[in-house]
Order: sequence, then C-alpha cells, then structure tokens
Amino acid sequence: MNILLRQVLIADASSPLNGQTQDILIEQGVITAIEPSIAAKDGVQEISAAGLTASAGWVDLFAHLCDPGIEYRETLESGAAAAAAGGYTEVFVLPNTQPVVHNKTQVEYIVQKSNALPVTLRPLGAVTKGIEGKELAEMYDMQNSGAIAFSDGIYPVQSPGLLLKALQYVKAFNGVVIQVPADDSIGKYGLMHEGIISTQLGLPGIPALAEELMVHRDIELLRYTGSQLHITGVSTENSLRMIAAAKAEGLQITCSATPYHVSFCDEDLQTYDTNLKVTPPLRSRADMLALREAVKSGVVDCIASHHIPQNWDHKTCEFEYAKAGMAGLQTAFAAVLTAIPGLSAERIAQLFGGNARSVFALEPATVQKGATANITLFSTGGSTTLSKQNNKSKSYNTPFLDKALKGQVIGIIHKGQLHLNK
Amino acid sequence: MKLSTQHLLGIKNLTREDISLILSTAQDFKDVLQRPVKKVPSLRDITIVNLFFENSTRTRMSFELAERRLSADVLNFTASASSVAKGETLLDTVNNILSMKVDMVVMRHSASGAPHFLAKHIPAAIVNAGDGINEHPTQALLDAFSMKEKTGRLEGLKVAIIGDIMHSRVALSNIYLLTKMGVEVTVAGPPTLIPKYLTDALDVRVEYNVKKALQWCDVANVLRIQLERQSQPLFSSLREYSLAYGINRRMLESLNKEIVIMHPGPINRGVELDSDVADGPSSIILNQVENGVAVRMAALYLLANREN
Repeated sequence: MNILLRQVLIADASSPLNGQTQDILIEQGVITAIEPSIAAKDGVQEISAAGLTASAGWVDLFAHLCDPGIEYRETLESGAAAAAAGGYTEVFVLPNTQPVVHNKTQVEYIVQKSNALPVTLRPLGAVTKGIEGKELAEMYDMQNSGAIAFSDGIYPVQSPGLLLKALQYVKAFNGVVIQVPADDSIGKYGLMHEGIISTQLGLPGIPALAEELMVHRDIELLRYTGSQLHITGVSTENSLRMIAAAKAEGLQITCSATPYHVSFCDEDLQTYDTNLKVTPPLRSRADMLALREAVKSGVVDCIASHHIPQNWDHKTCEFEYAKAGMAGLQTAFAAVLTAIPGLSAERIAQLFGGNARSVFALEPATVQKGATANITLFSTGGSTTLSKQNNKSKSYNTPFLDKALKGQVIGIIHKGQLHLNK
Repeated sequence: MKLSTQHLLGIKNLTREDISLILSTAQDFKDVLQRPVKKVPSLRDITIVNLFFENSTRTRMSFELAERRLSADVLNFTASASSVAKGETLLDTVNNILSMKVDMVVMRHSASGAPHFLAKHIPAAIVNAGDGINEHPTQALLDAFSMKEKTGRLEGLKVAIIGDIMHSRVALSNIYLLTKMGVEVTVAGPPTLIPKYLTDALDVRVEYNVKKALQWCDVANVLRIQLERQSQPLFSSLREYSLAYGINRRMLESLNKEIVIMHPGPINRGVELDSDVADGPSSIILNQVENGVAVRMAALYLLANREN
C-alpha cells in the first residue's frame, strides 16, 4: 500500500525534520520521500487534513485486554481495534488474565496473536507466580519469549522484600519493573480518595498515604538495587515530588499518569458515578492540578491509558460493589488534550510514545526517509466523541461516552497498513 | 408548602426550610397519634415497598407503622428471604417490584450511595432508611424533633455525638442536620473511629475525652459501637472501650449539670451506655422511638404530596 501524506507537521524529536511541515510518501511500508511537495501518483492514497500531524507510533504501557479468560470484557482483537482507533501502534498488555501471564506459554500466546492484529501487542510478564505476591515468576524466560517488562498489573507487589529481589533479578537482562503505587494494608477497604469529599459522601477513604508510602518505599528499593523502575498511575502531588527528586538524584525511575487522573478529581464523585471508581482513586483537586503541571513539565514521562474494561453489570450497581477501572484506549489522547489544552505536538509525541520507546528500549520508530513507517497521525484541532457506535472496545465503562473532547486521532500506519478513523 | 426534593436521600441535600417543614408536619402527626383513632387517609392511593437489605427492627417497624397510619398499601421485602439471596441485582430486584405498580421505595442498604444509585435509575420516590456509613436521614430528623421537644429549641443548642463516628450514618446525618439548624456540634470518641478530615469537611469540633464533651454539651447523642462494620480492628477491646468512652451514672453525676441522653439503638448495654444511664431520668431514648413514627409519617406524607 502506498500513501502520500499532504502537508503534515512532523512531531518527532528524533527526526531532523522535527517541527517542519512536509509531504511524506510511504511505499510498501517504508518512508521513501519527505519533501516540501511531492507530485501525486496513480495508486497512491492521499491523506490531507487540517492540522495533520505525524509522530512515531504511540505506545500504551498499561492496558488490560482480558484475553485469555475474561473475554466478555475484552479480547485481543477488540482491544487492538480500540488501540488503533486511539492512535496506538504498540500496546503493553496486563498479565491479569486467566490464566495469568507468568510463564513463556502465556507470553507466546499474546506475541503470536499480535502478528495478525493492526497493532503490536507486547505482553507484560508477571513479577510473581500467579500474581500472588509470594514467589518470583520466570521473568528471564518470559523476557526471552517477548515480555516487554514486568508487573503484577492491577495487583502491585506488596512485599518490599520480594520487590527488592525482583528489582535485583531483572538487572541481569535490563528488565524494567512497573508498579501501580497502592499499599493494600492502608487503603484496602477504601472506596475513594480520603478527604473532605469522602467524609461528606460517607464513603470509606483511601489515604494519599497509601500511594505515597509505596512510592517512597519503591524508590528506596530502587536506590538499594540500582535497577529500573516505572511507576504508573501516579496521582498525588507528594508522589510527584518524590519521583522528581529521585530523578534528579540519577535513579533509573520514570513514571506515567492516566488520562482520568488529569481529567477528574474526588469532587466529581458527588453522584457516586461508578465509572469514576478507579485505582489509584481520583485524588483532590490540588493533586489533579499538580499532575497536569507535571505532565507539562516532564516529571511525568508517559501517559498510560490504564484501560480496564468492565461490563455493564459491574458498573450499573451500588458504588461499593462496582468494579474499579475505566476503558480508555480510544479516548486517552483527546481526554488528555482536553484536560491540558496547551500541550505542543512534540510534547504529545513524547508523552504518548517517544519516552516509552526509550524507557523500555523498543525498536526505534522515527519519521525519516528510509525508516519503516510506524506512524500515528493526529491533530490538536477538531474533536473526538466516543459513542456506542464508534466504540471499538467490548466495554464502554467511561465517563467520556458521548462527550466532545478536543483533538482527534486521524489514523495509524503500522505493519504496512493504514488504519484511518471514520 | 412543599419539599425542595423528590427523594429523601440524605440530610445533605435538604434545605433548612425542608427540615423545618418536616419537623412541623411531624408535630401535627404526633398530635394525630395521641388520638383514639390514630389513622389518617392521606396516602390511601399510594403503595410503598420497604426494601431492607440489612437487618433492622426499630426502623423497619417504625416505617411500616408510619405507612399504615397514613393508610398506604405496604409491601415488605427482606433481602435474606428473597431472590437477592439467589444473586439478583439491586436494579433488577427494584424494577421487578416497580412493575407491580409501587409508588415509593423505602430502602436500607449496606452500601453508601445505594439509594442515590436507585434514584438515578428508577422513577419512584426513594426514602433512604440508612445507607452504609453515609446517611440515615429519618433518624436525624427524629433525633432533632426529640431534642427540640425536650429542650424547646435547636438554635444555639450544644450537642455532643459520642462513639463510633466513622462507621455511623446516624452521626453524619445528625451533623448535617444540626449544623444546618444552628446547633453547635462536638464529636467525641477514639481517634481511630473519627474520620481524619471531619473538621475540614463539616462544621464540628472533635474531642477525644468523653468527660469533657459531656461537660460541654446540653445533649449527648451516644452511638452504637458498630463492630459489624469494622473490617479491621480499630480499638483493643470492648472492655477498654467501655472504660475509656462508656458513659456511666457516676460520670453524669460528676458533671453538676443536667444533660439529655439519647441513643439511636440498639444499645450495647455496658459498652457505650450503662443500663442505669440508658434507663435513667436523663434518657429520652424511648421518646426517640415514639417520635420516629410521627417523623416518618411527615416525611412520607410530604414526599407523596410533592408528586401529586
């Protein structure tokens, strides 16, 4: 398939053409020409759009595709379609499936299925066997089979002794451990962020401390082991301060924020909206504003969708009984741009892909002549409205349903294929 | 006059005028309840279901009596003896009941916000009879009614709420109601049973010394220790709780002043209240129960009236 992108802004810090507006010709999946103006040819599909911007393909590093075992919520196929519509060309999938991804057989299942999908799915291998938090899983073998990094996903490792061993263990093969910061022993029975609003709503609270204690602890373990750690779903101002200090000190720590933590805060829970029940919980307004600043300033390295599909029954019920999580692959970009409208195209490209590529040592992707086309096409203009009709996921547990958001993903070019939205 | 709301989900979303209206209407119904014929025809075209997903004696009987005295048709539902025990969802349960043409739902549920969830999804008027650790609005209304009846006022009164504040929907509803009506409120109890952000969230003072709280107050509303709601231990033993926070006669006598003792029931005798205090001259605990019927009649009457 041959594609000609007309007058496209290149947003790719790794390309010498970064910031320039050019025509780009892609032939048989390879970028063959980037020039101010390229003549039209027969058999070449032309794409032009207002504000058309191209960056290296985006990477999501925390999505639950529920397959195998929980296919009524999502499958690798439906999740990949949602990811493509959300502008992602590569997605890290959570190991919290049934069975869990804790050995090479499960890793290979995802790697193999990924070959036939529009996006590349990269399995996260479990840190502990059965995600039980007791014994280390076979991480070396999983890495050799295609696991991109290691995490117990939505059930982060609680034992500091075990996490210490895991951080040490992965050093042998430059592995990265991903943790969601949530200390169970403090927040276990909570349903929302502890604060003024939880007190007024009569809902048991999860203190910010439940997160901050774990961030603090994990940074100490990182300093001791000299390993690599990525904290995802950072939600409090204090956590951000600790991470910024650890970065300044030179530790190999990076972090990501979710679209929902920059979009909502505990005040939005006044109506007990179960779609806003997430982990870590929506924090205070001050935390949300601090997180937006950290996304702008670079303390936050990546946006992670934390796509957790839940079916209707698990959300249309009492708040206490509702399952946590929000579907987010398809709306991540527009939600973040709506919450933080001033983001530059270059910063968006870093947050949604560039930084993840370097943290997790992915194959380089760049918008340059001669490179394989692994490209996300987007615009900071226009708007996105997720509806039940255009929703690709099997679930629609999101407060963004039928809401107009800023910006739009135009499509992706990956594996020699073009996938356009609409 | 009408209420500003279609449901009684909590005191939080009532106005001061709503509260005054319910209390004054309750006085009228209390007068009715002194007559030989205690029944009025006000709700004779209304069907009310009492949905109790949690155990209750006082509240369920009080609501049922209030409904019958208003001539409503009454349907009783207890979760343990229903399809809920077979795994039916709340929404399915209620929709099935509503298809039998029910006008109002009185619900007690262990999950905070459950009545708010129902109100979003079904057309009937909802009365919250206690949701999780959130609110118990009719209890707060009957407490206020009883305080006013006993002391002659609400404005300027000093009320201490003592005990397990964190797990008590009575506490939260009382705090909302009393502070809206100009009452000064202090809560007292062990720090592990008092929400950390209470004084930031609500206009109350916190005291860890029960004796000091009693010395300060005109009325002490003593709460039940809710062992069934504590998912992890929050104090060492009932014995130690009663030693440090229980109220006994000697303590009351040492105050050198008269205060009113209230309790929403059921009482853990010898834990938060000694029997000679619960049954003593300062106690209005049984008056609270009596007033509960009149207050619930008022709330149901006003909610039904708003619909017409």
